[in-house]
Amino acid sequence: MSTTLSLEAELARLIVEALHLEAAPEDIDPEAPLFGEGLGLDSIDALEIALAVSKRYGFQLRSDDERNHRIFASLRALAAHIEKQRTA
Amino acid sequence: MPADATLPLTGRALGEVIFRRGATPVTAARFLAEVAALAARLPDEGPVLNFCADRYLALVGFAAALSRGQVTLLSADRSAPRLADIARLHGARYALSDTDAALPLPVLRPAVEPAGDGANPAIPAAAIAAIAFTSGSTGEPRPHAKPWGALVAGARAAAERFAVAPGTSIVGTIPAQHMYGFETTLMLPLVAAGAAHAGPVFYPSDIQEALAALPAPRLLVTTPLQLRALLGAGVPLPPLAGIVSATAPLAESLAAAAEETFGAPVLEIYGATEAGSVASRRTLDGEAWDPYPGMRFTIAEAGAEVAVPGLALPVPLADTLEWCGEGRFRLLGRRGDMVKLAGKRASLAGLTRILTTIEGVEDGLFLAPDDIDRNPRARLAAAVVAPGRSAEEIVATLRDKVEPAFLPRPVVLLDALPRDALGKVNRARIVELAWRRREPATDALHIGDAEP
Repeated sequence: MSTTLSLEAELARLIVEALHLEAAPEDIDPEAPLFGEGLGLDSIDALEIALAVSKRYGFQLRSDDERNHRIFASLRALAAHIEKQRTA
Repeated sequence: MPADATLPLTGRALGEVIFRRGATPVTAARFLAEVAALAARLPDEGPVLNFCADRYLALVGFAAALSRGQVTLLSADRSAPRLADIARLHGARYALSDTDAALPLPVLRPAVEPAGDGANPAIPAAAIAAIAFTSGSTGEPRPHAKPWGALVAGARAAAERFAVAPGTSIVGTIPAQHMYGFETTLMLPLVAAGAAHAGPVFYPSDIQEALAALPAPRLLVTTPLQLRALLGAGVPLPPLAGIVSATAPLAESLAAAAEETFGAPVLEIYGATEAGSVASRRTLDGEAWDPYPGMRFTIAEAGAEVAVPGLALPVPLADTLEWCGEGRFRLLGRRGDMVKLAGKRASLAGLTRILTTIEGVEDGLFLAPDDIDRNPRARLAAAVVAPGRSAEEIVATLRDKVEPAFLPRPVVLLDALPRDALGKVNRARIVELAWRRREPATDALHIGDAEP
């Protein structure tokens, strides 16, 4: 699990930097929703995260309707998706 | 046009392809059959709140309602509180959606199946076909009625302006319920030319896949933000006939990078929810905007307005305009305190009013960064005097009243708003507090959209 934990921390830092968030990376609750409640991100942020992820991890996020909601559900879900793509 | 004039639901020949659902082309004939089948199953009374994500379902739902004489309410914001607000304030009797939604009214899924032939109904030009919404100064949705004749005239004008060939594949990245997306990806193929892509398209890889799956010529209809992401992601695109951008001014550097990378002209539309699309330009040709055919602009000291064919009254514009010869105009900036983010407009004074009515907030102010017109990623800030309340609490309360794009980032908590000797708020001081930590233009892309 240590890989996932460190990936979560790395991703939190990436998101805070890419989006100029006020929050400290370690303050982001990995289980909290990224959009709406929780961090309160919006579609501008979604594009920004997709861009940052493509640059750092070398793959593209996509709008696979249902699946996309799950991927962006939380920091943990996004980290798990990136982990899967990296080892795929 | 006489008061009792009618215009057909579709202006396309029956055999023409007007939409593409994945690999399946949809002809006007099949579309009309599906519209007739859905119309027969709709409840007897509208208005109908249509927030289908699939563009084809959105169009079939709109057309079916229209053929039954029902008004469609268009909300680009699909958040449940906003939809419920619109439904309540405008008397929606039912909703059409392809996703689940918990709303206090019946939500129908517009299944489409070919069932015999459908007529091409004649729709009164004066009939209100749709109502689009902007945010009022106190946060409530403000309605803008769209007569069928105005929508048809706008679609014909766009087809003429962009010389859209009948077989052009149109890939749009803006929701079908946003006025810009509605005009370019629903009305344009319905009335005039092109075949629109139905599926959801948002991320760079979505755009790439959608375009690659469609026949040439291809037209990409998008926003500065998505164009920037597309260039940043470096995904290759098939040959394009053109790229259309709207919702915010497009930086010349970004337009130049897009033209070079994708080998197609980058065209911008100027418009507003109230008026629809009213002018266009090729960004690299300079700052002059060409009014759409039929639009009549009036520029006066008190502001500019545009008379739109089919609309009863001229529409006041949120920008300051100036003539620059040959019937064209340039934009000199936003009027008053209007700001535009993510394709939505709001007034800073209106946002400030909402902020200062929050319980526990003693004083406060919304403000925009100086680069808001150049930087597609710009955000608003709020300075707040609210003893005992945290920035998170304030944002959480605002979230129910303000569209996400306008939520302040950052919130600066202060003991008192800085004021000068005359009691006027010192905006420069707040700007310094809000954005001092921001490094100017540390944009990973270096395409200059954040640079002065």
